[in-house]
Amino acid sequence: MTTQQLRPIVSVFPIKGKVKTIKQVPLPSVFSAPIRPDVVRFVHTNMAKNNRQAHAVSTTAGEQTSATSWGTGRAVARIPRVKGSGTGRSGQAAFGNMCRGGRMYAPKKVWRKWHRKINTNQKRYAVCSAIAATAVTPLVMSRGHRVNKLPELPLVVSDQLQSLTKTRQAVKFLKFIGAYRDVEKVIRTKKTRVGQGKYRNRRHVLRKGPMVVYARNLGIKKAFRNIPGVETASVYTLNLLKLAPGSQMGRFIIWTESAFKLLEDIYGSWEKPSKFKSGFYLPRPVMVNTDVERIIKSDQVQTVLRNRRPRSRKYGKKIQRADPYEDMSVMVKLNPYYKTKLQKQKELEEKNKKERKEIVDKSRKEYEDWLYFSEEEEEEEEEEEEEGSDEDREIEVLSDEN
Amino acid sequence: MSKQVPETIKKQAKRSFNSKEVKQEKNQKRMKLLKEIHEKAYKRAEKYEKEYLEQEQKLVELKQKALKEGSFYREPEPKLAFIIRIRGIVGVPPKPRKILQLLRLRRIYSGVFIRLNKSSLRMLHFIDPYVTWGYPDVETVRALIYKRGHARVNHQRKIIDSNEMIYDKLQKYDIVCMEDLVHEIFTVGKNFKHANSFLWAFKLKPPVGGFSTVKKSFVNKGEHGNREQYINTLVKKMI
Repeated sequence: MTTQQLRPIVSVFPIKGKVKTIKQVPLPSVFSAPIRPDVVRFVHTNMAKNNRQAHAVSTTAGEQTSATSWGTGRAVARIPRVKGSGTGRSGQAAFGNMCRGGRMYAPKKVWRKWHRKINTNQKRYAVCSAIAATAVTPLVMSRGHRVNKLPELPLVVSDQLQSLTKTRQAVKFLKFIGAYRDVEKVIRTKKTRVGQGKYRNRRHVLRKGPMVVYARNLGIKKAFRNIPGVETASVYTLNLLKLAPGSQMGRFIIWTESAFKLLEDIYGSWEKPSKFKSGFYLPRPVMVNTDVERIIKSDQVQTVLRNRRPRSRKYGKKIQRADPYEDMSVMVKLNPYYKTKLQKQKELEEKNKKERKEIVDKSRKEYEDWLYFSEEEEEEEEEEEEEGSDEDREIEVLSDEN
Repeated sequence: MSKQVPETIKKQAKRSFNSKEVKQEKNQKRMKLLKEIHEKAYKRAEKYEKEYLEQEQKLVELKQKALKEGSFYREPEPKLAFIIRIRGIVGVPPKPRKILQLLRLRRIYSGVFIRLNKSSLRMLHFIDPYVTWGYPDVETVRALIYKRGHARVNHQRKIIDSNEMIYDKLQKYDIVCMEDLVHEIFTVGKNFKHANSFLWAFKLKPPVGGFSTVKKSFVNKGEHGNREQYINTLVKKMI
């Protein structure tokens, strides 16, 4: 269910004359199946293994000697060596995968698992995806098909195509409808295969051109058989390996009208099961509407959303702030009272200082006063002492002698 | 060339949370709130200064009174302790390790405030060899919270760079500014638990001048264990 190509009506074109719509046909539900490249890749890589042919190495390769190890003490490696003499081969190493002429490591066996089982539903899912992708022009173009000149994609053509018998007619039709450019590309790029396949009967490599899908083979198979690059297929047996060659979706397909209509029956829809694949409904996509941006922007979603959280510039970022004890502005922001506090402290300090000063001054003054008065007394005493000093001394001397 | 504006953009422009008026209103509200917080912060800081001073004076008074009467005044036991982890994380036995984890002391030189009661004292007993702790005074609590206070906001450690941060988280506990926070921690109020858990564990620097020996207890001229009021000098060296 791609929103880009929800085209319910598809034009049917004639096979000759004028390129214009002769009829209109509803688009089968398969073309709205989910396009899952991962599923297609998985199924393709496993499906591609199923046409392999077994190959192996001969069981006796490298073992057809009676070589024995010489053991130790002979200054040679202990690998088994060919017995005998008289030939260059004698004494040569044998048997090991490292030896010249020895058997390989893990010789390949035929009973290797060549084929892969894939779940039926997965296979069908992949085919539905691949068919849906054939209607998506960018996918077809990216696969490399030259689809610029086509009138429409998916290209549906009248049933008369099924009755073509001659290759000339087929080519004429392709040119008429604008699909021959793709064929020209195939012819132009035919190359010798790179590698050893070229001398193993796989000499040439061709691109894939348009694929013609029919409902009834009334000669169409033979008509398109010899055109390089073009493949035909019955709509009942669409092969993933052809719908998505190299697990790359978007093969250029030319549908006949009845084949196109049959797709609805063969693959069913989401409501009605397939008529040919029992119990099979078309796979459901994980998301029906993949335009996520539009869904988010729609009114229904936006009105129910909570308001956008404000970008917390407050403390969203890692904020470095200065040390409040060094930067006053930071301190004041955190504690507006701080400046007042400092002021008060200062005032208190000054007040204390003042008081102290007063006390100190007062006591100093008292001391000085006391000093001053005591000096005066001393002077008076000294004067008194000087006057009567001689007499006193004489008396003292006399007394001592006695 | 006139461009048609897509409808979705027109509709978006109409929606309320984008309009200018709403933004203006919000801004005005915020400015008003900031002013409120600012005023409250001023008044409360003033109140607390007085309170701390009174407490000191009261203590002195009671001591003097007791002396006069010939008895002694037994000070109330300290309610708040500041613990600093001084040993690393290597080779710590499980029980002390768990207790250190519970106390948020997960790395060396990390510090936390803790309320002292019988249970917490028991816990401290177990982790004595790994921590040093004591009774911080107001200035220590202030310095820690102002200089090294980080808040736990949205499971993140963010430095407290405005009172708005504190208001947003602790308004319901009537703590709106730094001084409120300091007061709640220092006086171990009713909402000590919330104030303390708002603070991330303090990450301190190794002490200037170093330790003597962490292996011995403080009492034995070492560093670990209870060092009562000497925690204040240590924090000054580590802050």
